Amino acid sequence: MSLLGRQHFQDELRELEQQALGGIDLVIKTLDRTLEALEHQDIELASIVIHDDDRIDGRYLEVQQGILSLLALQAPVASDLRVVAALLHVIKHVERMGDQCVNIAKMLPVVGYDPPKDEVMLEHIFKMGRLARSQVEQSKQAFLLRNVEVAEDLVRQDLEINRLNRGVFARAVEIGTDADRREWAMSMMLVARAIERIGDNAVDIGEQVAFVVTGQFREFSDASHVV
Amino acid sequence: MTALALVAAKTVQVTDLNLYYGSFLAVEDVNITIEPNKVTALIGSSGCGKSTFLRSLNRMHELVPGARVEGEVLLDDEDIYDADPVSVRRRIGMVFQAPNPFPTMSIYDNVAAGIKLNHRRVKKAELDEIVERALRGAHLWDEVKDRLNKPGMGLSGGQQQRLCIARATAVEPDVLLMDEPASALDPIATLAIEELITELKKQYTIVIVTHNMQQASRASDITAFFNIEAAGRPGRLVEVDTTEKIFSNPSKQETEDYVSGRFG
Repeated sequence: MSLLGRQHFQDELRELEQQALGGIDLVIKTLDRTLEALEHQDIELASIVIHDDDRIDGRYLEVQQGILSLLALQAPVASDLRVVAALLHVIKHVERMGDQCVNIAKMLPVVGYDPPKDEVMLEHIFKMGRLARSQVEQSKQAFLLRNVEVAEDLVRQDLEINRLNRGVFARAVEIGTDADRREWAMSMMLVARAIERIGDNAVDIGEQVAFVVTGQFREFSDASHVV
Repeated sequence: MTALALVAAKTVQVTDLNLYYGSFLAVEDVNITIEPNKVTALIGSSGCGKSTFLRSLNRMHELVPGARVEGEVLLDDEDIYDADPVSVRRRIGMVFQAPNPFPTMSIYDNVAAGIKLNHRRVKKAELDEIVERALRGAHLWDEVKDRLNKPGMGLSGGQQQRLCIARATAVEPDVLLMDEPASALDPIATLAIEELITELKKQYTIVIVTHNMQQASRASDITAFFNIEAAGRPGRLVEVDTTEKIFSNPSKQETEDYVSGRFG
């Protein structure tokens, strides 16, 4: 038997994977800008984040179209089929994470130039941001390496994000004494919530890695069955 | 045609089957249970022994001088190698790659041929009924009912293959073996045969050899993958599982490589 096989198809599939995982890089860059804008209350940078989301949306459409073509023309099976199905999920999560960055960026003008900040709450949020960034990066690595252990480790970081998110909520309750501060704290709760969702999306990508490798889909952590 | 209720077909149980051509071991150590009312597809590259194996299921290989088997093939409880080969082939029918209607016979006689060859005394009215039922079962009745006395060779390729399926089912076998039944047909005729196979499994145990993986994935419930390590080596049954499992998450790397076309 020759070892040639479907070289052209394999090249196409590899390209599609690079395109989808490249979407994760776009998210990381966007998340960096978002957190920077938040840190410096940089409304200009926030508006760049908002407008740049078109690129992530464009990537989503490209990958989705590529997947449809591959399914229609090449009829992938077995692990190739699992990769294609997983990439469709990955690119959806990429698109969602991009939207969460936009949600955060849109809060900046709402809170104004000199908001009545609370350092404890901000510290929590920036810590969440760093963790989310590392999670997103790790989800890409897990996919590239087809490594289930690396994927499962995402849950550990996600638990920490969730814990901090609850901390942000508790802090908002504590400091919500005057109206301005209450408004600021509620906006920050939405920011924290958006970051927390990005972490969840990274875990979802990790679940797709496990699906690609094992052929079984299972949720790493189930929000409806909290232990 | 009214929807047929599921008819209990028979199980084919193959144990430790080795098949030789003279001293050459062509197929080695096959163990498989072929389930009733299911379509089992045999896939694998040319020369991997799948067609040879298929022929051993109704002793058709015995027509090749020097061919012999070791091991056991049970049709339910009965060892087909202890039975009369003619009766085995009546109960385990075969449909071939190229449609092969009897060239000088009419459409009617082609379908009735099996009944007549089995020396059953059948009244004309009963024979008419059997022929109609078989042609309806093969989705051919409406196309040929007005020209039953015309030659079978006058039909299109797809119609001829359905005629051969009608001929094979007219004797009411327990098992239908099909050796690439659609490989000589155009896509429309192929889909018609695949639809027919899905219909026929309600009554029969079906085993189909195919080189068309899409056909295996569309038309079968169970897929068995055969392979050879190298030319001159015997064919082996590598993996058998539900078709869904074989095409979405096969257990063996060898199967994965074959179904996803990583090897030529």
